[in-house]
Amino acid sequence: MKSTPNRYWQDIQPGETFDTESLTISKQDILDFAADFDPQPYHLDSEAAADSIFGGLCASGWHVTALMMRLLTDEFAGRHIELLGSSGVSRLRWRKPVFAGDGLSARITVTEKSPPATDSPFGYIDCDVEVDNQAGDQVIVLTTSLMIGVSPGAAANG
Amino acid sequence: MDKSPYIRSRWFEDLPVGEFHVFGSYTFSEKEIVDFGRKYAPNIYHTDPEAALDTIYRGLIASGWHICAVWMRMMVDYMERFATGVRDGRRNGAGTGFQDLKWLKPVRPGHTLTFTYEIIEKDEKVIRDRWGIIRSRNEAFNQYGELVFSFVIDILAERRPDTQD
Repeated sequence: MKSTPNRYWQDIQPGETFDTESLTISKQDILDFAADFDPQPYHLDSEAAADSIFGGLCASGWHVTALMMRLLTDEFAGRHIELLGSSGVSRLRWRKPVFAGDGLSARITVTEKSPPATDSPFGYIDCDVEVDNQAGDQVIVLTTSLMIGVSPGAAANG
Repeated sequence: MDKSPYIRSRWFEDLPVGEFHVFGSYTFSEKEIVDFGRKYAPNIYHTDPEAALDTIYRGLIASGWHICAVWMRMMVDYMERFATGVRDGRRNGAGTGFQDLKWLKPVRPGHTLTFTYEIIEKDEKVIRDRWGIIRSRNEAFNQYGELVFSFVIDILAERRPDTQD
């Protein structure tokens, strides 16, 4: 089963922004991710966390980046943009801890495009991504390069 | 034991540029790749081994953020295994950010990555009267010896108390 994307790399221009839905992170989510990937006291134990630099039990920074990916993936799927991967992240800052009950949403701003290689099914868009909590505080900010499907059969010079 | 060679037991001042560690190796299973993909990156090349065959990847691959999460686990386990004297993790602080992260090759079910860490720079700037920044280059190689993943991360390390002023 293959969905039919109806927005292509050619259709996306620098300056365009996408505001994602929001999702809420629970204490159980934080504990589950930490147990699998980041079993440190400030992600697993409320008492130890109170005494840490974060001031309370908070999500692993890699949990926050994974949730950013979920917000971004759902946003692009909802807009029928074919996301074919990413080559990397040139810069990311973890600005504030994420606590149980926080609601996260992302703003994705397209800053640049690079055309597809000959016969390549995708072109790149560079994006600045900001994830905010429900209070409007920025929790992470990053710059990433995403692979976006090109229009089938179209000249790739969009 | 006055001098531990390992990361978490030492102060910022005792961590030398050039120090190199191999955190260990980890084999990605199909189930773990799919579980992570369903939760955090639901594209068919991360979630559906059959449908993934028709994508540009010609099969299931791990989400890049899954590779990051496994890197973190490898680092935590490595530090725990070798930490002496510090049980609560105070001397290794939060990551403040990273740069130049590259996903260079797909990671497929059954692939084994070996993770390496090297301290490349120390920032003497004192954070909240207590922390310095250790900058490390981290790389992962697959079972063919190919570099598949690399990045540079800044992690806080606690400064020796008598030098905090």
